[in-house]
Amino acid sequence: MILESLKQQLLLTPYLAIALTLSAFFLGNYLFQKMGRPTWCPGILLAALLVGLFLGLMQISYQEYQQGAAWLVALLGPATVALGVPLYQQMHHIRRLWRPILLTLPLAAMLAAFYSVFLAWLAGGSSVLLASLAAKSVTAPIAIGITEQLGGQIPLLMGGLLITGVMATLWVNLLCRALQITDHRVIGFALGINGHAIGTVRAFEISPTAGAFSSLGMGLTGVFTALLLPWAWNLLGLAVVA
Amino acid sequence: MSVIKGFLFLLGFLLLGDVLAALFNLPISAGVLGMLCLTFWLLVRGRMQEDLQAVAQPLIGLLALLIMPGVVGVFFVAGDYLDQWLAIFLALVIGTCLSVFTTLVLMSKLTPTASKQETAEDVQS
Repeated sequence: MILESLKQQLLLTPYLAIALTLSAFFLGNYLFQKMGRPTWCPGILLAALLVGLFLGLMQISYQEYQQGAAWLVALLGPATVALGVPLYQQMHHIRRLWRPILLTLPLAAMLAAFYSVFLAWLAGGSSVLLASLAAKSVTAPIAIGITEQLGGQIPLLMGGLLITGVMATLWVNLLCRALQITDHRVIGFALGINGHAIGTVRAFEISPTAGAFSSLGMGLTGVFTALLLPWAWNLLGLAVVA
Repeated sequence: MSVIKGFLFLLGFLLLGDVLAALFNLPISAGVLGMLCLTFWLLVRGRMQEDLQAVAQPLIGLLALLIMPGVVGVFFVAGDYLDQWLAIFLALVIGTCLSVFTTLVLMSKLTPTASKQETAEDVQS
């Protein structure tokens, strides 16, 4: 009983949720280092598991946690804006490559959504599932907006985003080796288009150039998908009904 | 102090993005619009703003932390979607593989090979 009222007391302020998020983040990173930095299991996945486990054990609902964590997540806005800084610093690289960038981006961003929706549809995924996974390669703040428009589920989207980010870093790693691609501009761009913020975090580990191209790929994919996907979705929806 | 000043800059551009999105009814998030405006402003200015640089680097390092709370939600809805695991697996694992492959092939076919200096810069990591 005392524990229960103590829990209620602690949940009145966002501090418990924030402290929990930060501790899980550090612990997740620590475990990630201990495991030898495996690409298939990033620190963020471990951290999310730890938080989930804690919430389950303490019988705290996800909504209660989310309310507190929202204070931290609010920083996502300014952090997205901050990506303009590396973008500017690497502008000389980008300027030199404007042609391949403009040619690759629309097709790559469109296909990123198309492949997954098509495959899920083939396997008999429900319309809610399709709508939740369509924006899987788009950075979280934009993807949430798109998914709401399409009628998808936000928690499912966030899980999809995480797995997509992990898969993108994994596949970029494997395919670059297979195709013998070593150009950091190409690697970074592929990470940003397909792996959004998680790919971008990985790209900054590779080099500042890769990071800047990843930020660019992520930003452009977000803008492009936000503009086109809801529109394409309506067309597709009509086609299915007819 | 300069970190706080830089942060205020970021908030200014974020709000600008918000205003633009509302004015022109754009379906793009305020953050991305703010990012584009910030890049554009720096390009016009022609040089880096020190305060911005001081805050941008650590904040970008936090991206993974900021996404993490949202990810936790998936554990609470995962049960509802277990019967559709094949669709989810195909979409996320195979779909991402295909789109990464397409991007890499397109981009590397279209990109002129890096100059010697760039390659040297790239090799070190």
